[in-house]
Amino acid sequence: MTTTTTDRPAPSRTLWQRLARSLTQHDSFGAYFEPLIQLALPMWSTSGYRTKVLEVRTELPDVYSLVLKPGRGWGGFRAGQFVQIVAEQNGVLCSRHFSISSSPDHYARTGLIELTIRVQDKGRITPWLRQQFANGGWLRISAAQGDFVLPQGNGPVLLLAGGSGITPFRSMLNQLRAQNDNRDVQLLYFARDNQHFLFRDEFNRLQLDNPQLNITLLDNEQHGLISAELLQQYCPDFARRQILICGPAPMIALSRNILTDMQVPQQNIGFEYFGAAPIDQPRSSSDAALVAFRQSGINVDIAAGESARSLLEVAENAGLKPVSGCRVGVCHQCICQKQSGVVYNTRTGQYSDTGAGEIQLCISVAASDLVLDL
Amino acid sequence: MPSAHIPSAETLQSFEQDINRIRDNTLTNVGQADADYIRNMIRFQRLLDLSGRLCMVLGFLHPLWWVGGVFALGIAKILDNMEIGHNVLHGQYDWMNDPHINSRKFEWDNAGDSGSWKRYHNHEHHTYTNIIGKDRDYGYGLLRLSNDLPWRPKNVLQMVYYWLLSILFEWGVAYHEVAAERIFFGKKRKHSSLPISREQLKKDFFNKISYQMFKDYIFWPLLCFPVFFQVLLGNICANLIRNLWTSTIIFCGHFTEEAHTFSEEECKNETRGQWYYRQILGSSNLEGPRWFHILTGHLSCQVEHHLFPDVPARHYPAMAAEVAEVCKKHGIPYNTGPFFAQYFTVLQRVWKYSFPSSEGKQQAA
Ligand code: FES
Repeated sequence: MTTTTTDRPAPSRTLWQRLARSLTQHDSFGAYFEPLIQLALPMWSTSGYRTKVLEVRTELPDVYSLVLKPGRGWGGFRAGQFVQIVAEQNGVLCSRHFSISSSPDHYARTGLIELTIRVQDKGRITPWLRQQFANGGWLRISAAQGDFVLPQGNGPVLLLAGGSGITPFRSMLNQLRAQNDNRDVQLLYFARDNQHFLFRDEFNRLQLDNPQLNITLLDNEQHGLISAELLQQYCPDFARRQILICGPAPMIALSRNILTDMQVPQQNIGFEYFGAAPIDQPRSSSDAALVAFRQSGINVDIAAGESARSLLEVAENAGLKPVSGCRVGVCHQCICQKQSGVVYNTRTGQYSDTGAGEIQLCISVAASDLVLDL
Repeated sequence: MPSAHIPSAETLQSFEQDINRIRDNTLTNVGQADADYIRNMIRFQRLLDLSGRLCMVLGFLHPLWWVGGVFALGIAKILDNMEIGHNVLHGQYDWMNDPHINSRKFEWDNAGDSGSWKRYHNHEHHTYTNIIGKDRDYGYGLLRLSNDLPWRPKNVLQMVYYWLLSILFEWGVAYHEVAAERIFFGKKRKHSSLPISREQLKKDFFNKISYQMFKDYIFWPLLCFPVFFQVLLGNICANLIRNLWTSTIIFCGHFTEEAHTFSEEECKNETRGQWYYRQILGSSNLEGPRWFHILTGHLSCQVEHHLFPDVPARHYPAMAAEVAEVCKKHGIPYNTGPFFAQYFTVLQRVWKYSFPSSEGKQQAA
């Protein structure tokens, strides 16, 4: 394997930034004063928008919505986009991405947005958020991101939702309604069982308002997973539609395979993963992990688990040259930004969080697929 | 020099387990209180910094304002370098995920580029503590502090060098790696593990220096133009206070009378237990009240800092009691003492090795 690593040029600074550097040792004056400003404004930050949590609304026993009032300067969003939220849990700033489930129109009228969140089994953040903010509080959100939005024009659309992948579609459908846009929309919504459909009443109302909108609820117990037959049966004209898919990774993979088999052109299909995007590459065995070095574009297939090789060695074997020092976890030279995935720390014997965070390469081994900034 | 008799393998193993247990117990308690602590410390430091600079300007009302201002700024710089910078740069707060309180990004109010310091201090000094030839912090290539180095006539004057180093300490920190890599003088090192290019090292060195000089010796004095010299002098004094304090504390950490040195062979393939053992023997603690610990960045607990460099330092005093007990149990020497007593032994050591010792001659023979 051949790779080239280039020294990334330091970003050149403006005069103002240089002044801040010189006077405060920070890249901006805001960053220097951040801890002081936070005394008056909790969760204020130079990066992100401080946001008030107004309410935690239960949607299903294991699904809730956070009702948020983004702070000044937040730039709004398009239906289907997501935000990163940052909250402080026992001193740790944890971040997660969630689609916005309410519509831009709702934001324009009330100044509020909603994130609808499923409580993850054994998750560290999703159960905690619900309790922590039961009586309100402050967190931080990013600008809206992503381009998983309805296609331009008013051509017919097919939406395929799996589980909590319904959230961006709720935003889109409400937005269409608000704009009196009666375009032809088919939504096939798959859930585990009949108890697990979100926003049922709301969807019924939306359907009554728009004869061109057709929502079909398909529970896995009764109908099985998505299949060519189900598509034929509930949306026979899918081939002429723009198709958007959102749901867990296996559901997306399955849907894309089915559609490709049925000759639907790739450019007609848009999709969005919930959680970390899986790394698309064959692997040597089912318990192997894939490590994706994002900046260098290298993927490596390795054995996962507590006895696996350190990520520092993995990176070096792949021809990368990450900075390192002691190689035993003392010096913190080998810190690397992890985008997603779980690592096992051989020094502390602890597993990391699944979200973004920093890890010490020399004492971390992969415990799942990983995306690293290297 | 005191030679330690090395404990048996079994002792070292159970010693290792005891030390690990102290570490694990502490780590389970690291959390919100630590995040709040460091944020509050940063707040306090920033307010002190700003009020120090302001008071200094008011010196035209009464000189005491100036004195107070210099003092406040000096303390602010000490806190920034020690309790905040040193500890953040060791990665003690990396777990917070805070982009500004993080070993990768933090930069301190010091002429030394923090990136450079991290390379030679966090890595070399902490991994190869007091191993002659490997730990370039040992004597800073300037002082002879044990018989491991042959005596040279220039050593006679090393008390003077020591004082100069103390006065100019931040410049020592800045120049350390550049000197070791022989960037400006001397022959290029044959074996260098420098992970950045020499050009980059040079650039970082000059950048940091110019940022610091501009701030303290140009910008602030000019901004307060009518009292230009008053502010300039104040800033020089504040930097001096910080330099003297930090160098004194650091020397007390490793160069007291009892602190051991090691050879490279001794440390080949050492176990974690041996590593812990070496850290303990190479370091000395200082006793004092809580404010004293904070002003030293908890380097007063140098032993614990060397055992647990990335555990938030505010836990060290509590850990120290346990570590001392474990050492006693295993018959491992644990060096601690009041500040002035320890400092006196440092001066003694600098003085003693200024001259060729009879012991040294015997060894050489
Ligand atoms: S290389 Fe020193 S902590 Fe990883």
